[in-house]
Amino acid sequence: MTSVHRGTAAAHARAGRSVRSLRPQGYLWVLPALIVSAGILYYSIGYTGYISTLDWDGSSPAPEPVGFDNFVTLFGDPVFWAALQHTVLFFVVTFALQTFLGLLLAALLHSNIRWRGLYRVLVFVPVVIAPAFMAPVFRQIFAADGALNWVLEHIGLGFLTHSWLADSATALPVVMLIAVWGSTGVNFILYSAALGQIDPQIVEAARMDGAGGVRVFWSILLPSVRGTTLALAILTAIGSLKTFDIPYLVTNAGPNHATEFLGTYIYTQSIPLAHVGYGAALSVMLLVIAVIMALVLNLRRERGEA
Amino acid sequence: MFDTRTRRGRWGLQLLVTVLVIPFAFPLVVMLQGSLVGQGLGNYAVVLSQPELPYFFRNSLIIAAATIVIVYALALLAAFGFSKLRVRGRELLFWMLLICLTLPEVVLLTPLFATTLQLGIYNTYWAVVLPLAALQIPFAVLLARAFLDGVPDDIVDAARIDGASSMQVFLYVIVPLTRPIAAAIVVLTLIGAWNDYLLPLVFLTDPQSQTITLLPQFFIGQFSYDTTKVLAASVVSALPIVVAYMLLQRYFERGLAAGALK
Repeated sequence: MTSVHRGTAAAHARAGRSVRSLRPQGYLWVLPALIVSAGILYYSIGYTGYISTLDWDGSSPAPEPVGFDNFVTLFGDPVFWAALQHTVLFFVVTFALQTFLGLLLAALLHSNIRWRGLYRVLVFVPVVIAPAFMAPVFRQIFAADGALNWVLEHIGLGFLTHSWLADSATALPVVMLIAVWGSTGVNFILYSAALGQIDPQIVEAARMDGAGGVRVFWSILLPSVRGTTLALAILTAIGSLKTFDIPYLVTNAGPNHATEFLGTYIYTQSIPLAHVGYGAALSVMLLVIAVIMALVLNLRRERGEA
Repeated sequence: MFDTRTRRGRWGLQLLVTVLVIPFAFPLVVMLQGSLVGQGLGNYAVVLSQPELPYFFRNSLIIAAATIVIVYALALLAAFGFSKLRVRGRELLFWMLLICLTLPEVVLLTPLFATTLQLGIYNTYWAVVLPLAALQIPFAVLLARAFLDGVPDDIVDAARIDGASSMQVFLYVIVPLTRPIAAAIVVLTLIGAWNDYLLPLVFLTDPQSQTITLLPQFFIGQFSYDTTKVLAASVVSALPIVVAYMLLQRYFERGLAAGALK
């Protein structure tokens, strides 16, 4: 400690290292968080892995070990594949819409227009209201005699009215729209923060050179928010795999599994149907997909930044 | 960004934003308007006079408060350890925590169901608070560590050279320094806990212990699909979090931005 010289950068770095090695152990400090978080979650994963090899209803004292039977069933289960397909579609559509709307709104609200504060709140409030509270509202809006059809009739588009939630062709798009409604605010806020970091002089210079609004958007804004877009891709991908509240509460995963997601299917199998072993096998698949996806997206992000 | 020079351009832009924002406001308008159909504010009077209502609020408050305390304390301790102390295999441990961010809560149901029954904490607050905290801690640690990594090590080293113990450094240097990010952690955890639906649905079985997110379903049973009352119940349940958001908007947005922009 006495040999700390603060003269040159090199001496400073050396001193920094020696101080670091003298630092107290940090294990005790990180341990409580690891126990509560990683402890509970890894324990649950391990337990789920074990249950996935059982034929069990969750309460009988003698579950029957069946090896990989649950996984064999799973790969032949059309509902599992449908749920997976819905998840992928859900990710692609919601990510595209949220990114486009979020960035556009962020750029527009960085311009000189009125009532910016009000617009900001209106776009963001959906993020903080739980799907559980909004589900009755959306069921009302998309019902056959609901608010959306009422609006369509009154703006002369009566021929478009539809029983949105009862038709398996429109139920999934409605679920996606509700998700976009609830999540665009996140993209909006993150893009707003990213746009705030763009040097106004660059935009000014482009304008001097004759670039219009659309050109500035494509050539300056889009490239400079790439990092944010990749982070949002990860967030949205994980969010898609976690999707549960909206399809469960608005469409009850129906009609006829049209809005079934991995989350709703795991829930239905594990709790109401008490096919606990099968639910656990589905959970294992969900986890494998989630981790692989996070790794792939993260690698892409790191490569993109390098 | 879109710098409009002409009056027509400005009006065009204003119109475009308004058209884009209307769909965001529409469900909120339907919700408020629907809750006033028929008896008007009378719907709210009926909802508010339900004897079970205070339980739902109390339970959500207790669960949110307990989750916030646990997440805040453990995340800050861990962030200090990860950022400023000596931890062998630090990045591996940190990575182990981060991978938890990808975990959907639905995969916890069966193992935690069996375990909480065995431990006798099924249908208690703990059965919801502990998994909630477990799921929220990783992001909170990520935020707090990113923030602390931006604080020069010299501040900590200087305090130590002056004879402060790790605990003193934590209490008198780290805790005050991290106040802005702590506010973000508190708000994010509050929203996560208040809005969670699945864990209370599975682990809390009677209205005495259930949370606010189960209120609309409860009222659907109670009022047998009287939509106006159900919508009034939704407004009542969503109001506290909207008010909290309005008051703490700055911290919430900063927290989100800090976490994702890292």
